[in-house]
Amino acid sequence: MSLGQRQRHDAISGNPLPDPPPGPTVLELRHVTCAYEQGRPAICDISLAIREGEILCLLGPSGCGKTTTLRVIAGFEPVTAGEVYLEGRLVSSPDSLVATERRRIGMVFQDYALFPHLRVLDNIAFGLHALPKDERQARVSTLLALIGLTGLERRYPHELSGGQQQRVALARALAQKPAVLLLDEPFSNLDPDMTGKMREELYDLLLRTKTTAILVTHDHEEAFAMADRVAVLRDGRLEQFDSPEAIYHTPASPFVADFVGQADFVPGLIENGTVATEIGSFPNQKGFAAGTKVVVMIRPDDVHIAPSAQGTARVTARQFRGSENLYTLQLPSGDILHSSETSTSIYPIGTLVNVHVLATHTVLFEQGRPTSA
Amino acid sequence: MATTVRHALPASLSMFAFTVAGLAGLPLAFVAYMALTAGTPVWSRLWQTRIPELLLNTGALALSVSAGTLLLGVSLAWLVVRYDFPARRFWEWTLVLPLAMPTYVLAYVYTYLLGIGGPIEQIWQTWAGPDARIFPPHSLSGATLVMTLDTFPFVYLLSRTALMNFNVSFEEVAQACGASRLRTWFCVTLPLMRPAIVAGLSLVVLYVVSDFGAVSLLRFQTFTYAVYQQVSGRYDHAAAAALSLLLVLLALLFLVAERWFRQRSRFYQTTGRYRAPARKALPPLGAWLATTYAAAVFAASFGVPAWLLAKWSLAALAEGALDARFLGFITNSLLLSGSAATLAIAIGTPLAYVATRRPSTLHVLCSQAVYAGYVLPGPVGALALLVLISHVAPFWYGTILVLIAAYVLHFLPTGLQAMEPALQQVTPNLEEAARSLGYGPAGTLRSVTLPLVRGGFIAAWVLMFLQCMKELPATLLLRPVGYDTLAVRIWLEASEEYYQLAAPSALLIVAVTIPAILLLVSKDWRAA
Repeated sequence: MSLGQRQRHDAISGNPLPDPPPGPTVLELRHVTCAYEQGRPAICDISLAIREGEILCLLGPSGCGKTTTLRVIAGFEPVTAGEVYLEGRLVSSPDSLVATERRRIGMVFQDYALFPHLRVLDNIAFGLHALPKDERQARVSTLLALIGLTGLERRYPHELSGGQQQRVALARALAQKPAVLLLDEPFSNLDPDMTGKMREELYDLLLRTKTTAILVTHDHEEAFAMADRVAVLRDGRLEQFDSPEAIYHTPASPFVADFVGQADFVPGLIENGTVATEIGSFPNQKGFAAGTKVVVMIRPDDVHIAPSAQGTARVTARQFRGSENLYTLQLPSGDILHSSETSTSIYPIGTLVNVHVLATHTVLFEQGRPTSA
Repeated sequence: MATTVRHALPASLSMFAFTVAGLAGLPLAFVAYMALTAGTPVWSRLWQTRIPELLLNTGALALSVSAGTLLLGVSLAWLVVRYDFPARRFWEWTLVLPLAMPTYVLAYVYTYLLGIGGPIEQIWQTWAGPDARIFPPHSLSGATLVMTLDTFPFVYLLSRTALMNFNVSFEEVAQACGASRLRTWFCVTLPLMRPAIVAGLSLVVLYVVSDFGAVSLLRFQTFTYAVYQQVSGRYDHAAAAALSLLLVLLALLFLVAERWFRQRSRFYQTTGRYRAPARKALPPLGAWLATTYAAAVFAASFGVPAWLLAKWSLAALAEGALDARFLGFITNSLLLSGSAATLAIAIGTPLAYVATRRPSTLHVLCSQAVYAGYVLPGPVGALALLVLISHVAPFWYGTILVLIAAYVLHFLPTGLQAMEPALQQVTPNLEEAARSLGYGPAGTLRSVTLPLVRGGFIAAWVLMFLQCMKELPATLLLRPVGYDTLAVRIWLEASEEYYQLAAPSALLIVAVTIPAILLLVSKDWRAA
């Protein structure tokens, strides 16, 4: 429910991107490269900026460099090229590195890293030792109320459930009012049944505390649900940095298209100003020259099928997914296309069908580029 | 299927376990009985003449050695785990070698090094003037130095394992909370290492309290040395039993305190994952300092003593020390240790099997009773057997059978510690699978269980064998007249300051112990 309260951009297909929410820039990465080994950068030439109050997701498969990016921002890893600015201050460059403890960042680790020898109370107060005692206590009670764990402050971390541990880790990170909160795969250690609820809670908490946050995840649904903007990383490079809607509907590369949802790539040729494929012609949105070989990205929800004796495509498999039926279709050329149909439309395997594609939702890529990692 | 296999565990095995446990508990019970019936005169005499001094000395030694090993062990572990410097791997391994040096060997080398006119005093005098004196080896300082150098690897090894398993996220999150390096170290790293450090220190304290070799050679009056003197010099078995009881109580008190502390400070890992901390390369000056530090500790604890032993051995060999008598000592040592280790395996196997497979309260109690041999310091165990045998079976007195029994009693716990995990690794499912494939109990044992536990049992045998080779106080008190072992010769000759004569035996013991130590440490390393 809280997800709906946020000002969201409407799903716009193929249109120019909306502006990010206004506000001063809190964090900026300029052409950042970080290499653990000489010549093999873990991240390469990453540039992005995050505004106050914004939630940004670093999305990508494992090993793409998203956690490294987070650790660079935290100051755990030095940069080999480029600069990091936090609140307008240069904090990382090849020549200088501001220590983590002087950066005003908050971090929630994947395993939460709650100090096992300290009670909930002392875990949350860990970063507040400079405050006078009564002020510290007041701040801790506020935070406990905020995360809804009042009454559990005398427990040890191992006496808490996974979700409670995560909330304590969150409170500990928020205690010193960080300029930016970094979350490393915050839901990966939770029971899958719990993640939906925890996601909503976290989102709500970030909004209420007006926290600027960067979240690392490999789950595009999580990224879409949480983020104002998503940065998709692949092999240490920034593939696309955009709103969730733009990432989904106008992916910058076949890799992004494939990573953030099911997609098929149908080959086509530019002829007479349109893209000719075996399932019909599509607009030449990117103005490729005639004769160019292209692929058309089509998502299953834009493909509709109707049984017909003259149909050119054949149903080869059906996956019942509860709210929908996902059909696998074989085209005359042998290429595979998927279609999402309603839960109740059931066609047996072998049925010949006609294929209709909603032309406005397709995206063109020049052929020859790799389609997926 | 499962139930039939479980029922197949014969009742005779349980009976055997009870019998062994009873026999193992008997000496301790007998010593306690003797001490409590010793009468007021004995106790009041001891209280007026010996007990306060012994308590003070034993306590002071335990405390100062703890402080020393804490400092050396933790700092060296920190250095080799967190930093990189030239030959780091080399130092990481060589720093455990002092464990191969029996305390009496190190003590005997240091009586020479620290003695009046000895090398250290000479160096000191060229520096601080001809009348300058250093502390004598026969003092609290001398005993502290020797015991610290000999036992710091316990703290070092356990701290090192703890540091290698340390989840570096804890330190990173502390820094993200704005904590300085110093605060991170004292508020996060050190508290999380505390259980490992306490475990290491408790090993050290038990070792110090029950050590006889070093304190006897350094003539430092502690409980073990006093018990030995009462038995061998004054033949006062009642007084010896009284002192023994105090010593055992002291050890038990310490063990209980340690267990209580450990339970309170047991930390639960909140997650299974962890990232190992990065190793930091030291700048040239730091690397030089680290190397010097590690090299100095190694030289003092193992390098210089081993070199001296080798030098003296060569001199002794040149004078014809390698004669039939010397070979006789070797034969005695091998025969005694070999038969004791073999007997211990034979007795230990059913015990370990019963304790791991049918861990009922009674069976666990049995194996706990056997562990009583652990808190019986060498002279106490020897005293107990001595008195028991002279009462029950005087015709056995002065035979090697009594000595072997003493060894088994004392070292069976060590063996069990290696055998029980080996047996635990063989899950009953494996045996049940063999049974389901048509093997009988004997066939299962032969083709499944034994091949799987062989490694652990061999390790147990080697460990017990080496401990028997090094054993000193029980051997001194119980050996047949004239039946000397290598350890006894070292002690006798070192007591008379015949440094060269003692060297070949000492070098031999150190040399055979080194591979076993390295093997143990490498296992520990792989488990880490």
